[in-house]
This record gives sequence, structure tokens and C-alpha cells, in this order.
Amino acid sequence: MERKWRKIWGLIGLLLLNFVNNVSSLSLTITKVECVYKIVRSEGDIVSGNFVVVDHHIFWSSDHPGIDFSIISPGGDILHNLKGTSGDKFSFKAPRSGLYQFCFHNPLSTPETIALYIHIGHIPNEHNLAKNEHVDPINVKIAELREALEAVTTEQKYLKARDAVHRRTNESTKKRVIGYTVGEYILLTIASVLQVVYIRRLFSKSVGYNRI
Amino acid sequence: MSGNAELRRLVMFQGVLLVVLLLALSNAPVGDAIWLNVPPTGTKCVSEEIQSNVVVLSDYVVVSDDHGHVPTISAKVTSPYGNNLHHKENVTHGQFAFTTQEAGNYLACFWTDSHTRGAGEVSVNIEWKTGIAAKDWESVARKEKIEGVELELRKLEGAVEAIHENLLYLRDREAEMRTTSENTNARVAWFSIMSLGICIVVSGSQIWYLKRYFQKKKLI
Repeated sequence: MERKWRKIWGLIGLLLLNFVNNVSSLSLTITKVECVYKIVRSEGDIVSGNFVVVDHHIFWSSDHPGIDFSIISPGGDILHNLKGTSGDKFSFKAPRSGLYQFCFHNPLSTPETIALYIHIGHIPNEHNLAKNEHVDPINVKIAELREALEAVTTEQKYLKARDAVHRRTNESTKKRVIGYTVGEYILLTIASVLQVVYIRRLFSKSVGYNRI
Repeated sequence: MSGNAELRRLVMFQGVLLVVLLLALSNAPVGDAIWLNVPPTGTKCVSEEIQSNVVVLSDYVVVSDDHGHVPTISAKVTSPYGNNLHHKENVTHGQFAFTTQEAGNYLACFWTDSHTRGAGEVSVNIEWKTGIAAKDWESVARKEKIEGVELELRKLEGAVEAIHENLLYLRDREAEMRTTSENTNARVAWFSIMSLGICIVVSGSQIWYLKRYFQKKKLI
């Protein structure tokens, strides 16, 4: 019974998106190549989004080449190509409807986690409708307002992801400071004790020598 | 990628495109779906960092080109503390909905079953909605008897509230990080001074000990 209710709820949730309100925000782990696909329903929709590389397994060098990112249209053209980034925003007007690919390529073998957010915005206009249908201007205005709000949400997702990266860096720095300092103290003490022991041994031998 | 697989993929995409266009014309919305390719071996996981008390609604469907043999997948959703929220094996579609109890990283993993292995990559259509996007506007409209423009404006109001909440969250996080940074800064200063102090103390005690030792051995 509960399952049926959940199904109905899920269906209602699905059917609700009458004015296309396409958002999706996810984190993926990239080992080599990962592609995410999204369907753009009508030509002229504005596709905007951002991605941030959350897991930087950089410990000893900042020579990490970064992640390559590309957007491929359904026709096979490459709309956007970035090499060696650690996060970026993108926005373009879809030249045609169909399946768009958002592909990541990781040049190194260590898996990286990427937080991705894509938003497809649609503003109804006279173009795509049948002849006897009219677009109410208030609906157009509402759609524009919604798109403006979605732009703010997109930016917020980006800031959230960047904040997560900074938090990791900060916590790593804190751990390193404590770890390395305590290690330094211990090493210093051990080194000086060894020095003293060595000097003792040195002098006790030579004193023994001189007694002959 | 061999030419055959490429051709198959192209045909599959075209078929799906046709289906999508048909759906779009019939005004049955596809929703905010993302497509992923689940590899034949290994799992494909997606995750999101979600705060507590947030509604999560998700729906996944296996997309296949030939209707004769629809590959099946298994799905598993875990909470940040490791609790199993949803687990299904050998299905072609499924959905799950839950309210998050704790803040953290929620993980949804998909993998192909051993029966349908060898069919290559399986395309899964995943809809993932959290927070305001998962709100049930139909029931709100029915309960308060609003419709049309007023409903749309109400949705916008919900979106603005969500933005406000996010802003407050970001501000709190920034304050937390500022505290951590200042803490680390103070610690670095203290530890460096202490390290200098320890250095001086250790070398002083070395000199004192060796002087006493040599005096005992009557070398000085």
C-alpha cells in the first residue's frame, strides 16, 4: 500500500514539471572518462552549469594536470572544451534539441570526485507552438523570473562546491600542522639524545685508549 | 571504439531522440533526468552532499534500444552513516524517496547484474530531485485551491526561500572556516615558537650534560 502511494507520489512529482525546470546536481567519481548525458527538449534553451573538482589528491606537488572537460552536442560538434581545470562554469544556447554529452577525462590514474550541476532553462515563446496556441505574456515573464532565480541557484551550487573544497584543504592543513610539528619535536629530541650517546661513546673509547 | 559499437550507439541515440520528441510533443514531461552509462563490470556511483531534513526523490529507468532484451541493473542507496536506504536487485526501473536524517554524503550506486553481463554498457536514466525541486506542488494547489499564475508565483516564492536558506548555510560555513583558519594560524605561530623553545632547551641540556660528563671523567 505504501509502495503504491509512493509510486503515485513519484508519478505526480514527475508529471508536475510542466514548465521545464531542469536541474540536476550530482557528484561523480572519475577514473578515466565519464560522460553524463542530458536531454534538451527544445532548441534555443539555455544550458548553464558548473563543475568543481572536489578531491585533489595532491600531496607533494601542485603539478596536477587537472581534469579535461568537453560538451558535445547531439550532432557531434564539440561546443566547449577545457583542458586541465579544477572547476569552471559554462553556459550556452542549445543549437538544437537532443542528447547533450558532458564528458570528463582524467589524465592521471587516481580517481577524482567532481561535483557537477547542470540547469536547462526554457522560456516559452511563439516559435515552438502550434498555430492556434498563444503564449500568455505573463507566463513568459514568470518563466524569465524563474530563470533569473535559477541563475542564482546555479551560482550558489558552485559556491557550495568550492566551499567544500576549501573546507577539505583547511582540515588537511590543520592536521598537517599538528602532525608535522609533533613529529618535528620528537625527531629533534631523538636526534639530540643520539648525539649525546655518540659523544659519550666516542670519549669513553678514547679515554680507555689513553689509559694504556 | 569499433565502428559497429559506434553505429549501434548512434542508432540507439536516434531511437531515444525519437521517443523523447514524441514525449515532448505529447506534453508528457521527461523531467530533470540525467543519463549515465553503467559499465558491465564495477559500479557507477553518484553522490550528493545533502543537509538534514531534506526531501529526496529519485527515479531510475534502464534505457534500452532493443525491446527484446532489456538489461537489468541493481541499485543501492546509502546514507552517510552507512544505513541502507534503498536496495533493489535485477530491476529495469525503480524509485525511492526519503527525508534525510543526517547531513552528509548520500551515495546511490548502480551495477549491472551477472545475468545481463556481456551486454556492454547499460544506459540508465536517473532523476534526482532534492529539497524544493521535490516539493509536491499538486497537493499544495489542491489544499489551498490555487491554480495558474498564483501557483507559479507560489513556486517562485518557494524557490526564493530555498535561495535564502542556501545563503544562510553558506554564510555559516564561511564563518566555520574562518574560525578554523584563524585557529590554524594561531597554532602555527605557537608551535613555531615552541619548536624554537624546545630547540634551545634541548641544546642547553645537551651542553650541560656533556659538561658534567667531561667533568666527571676529569677531561676538563
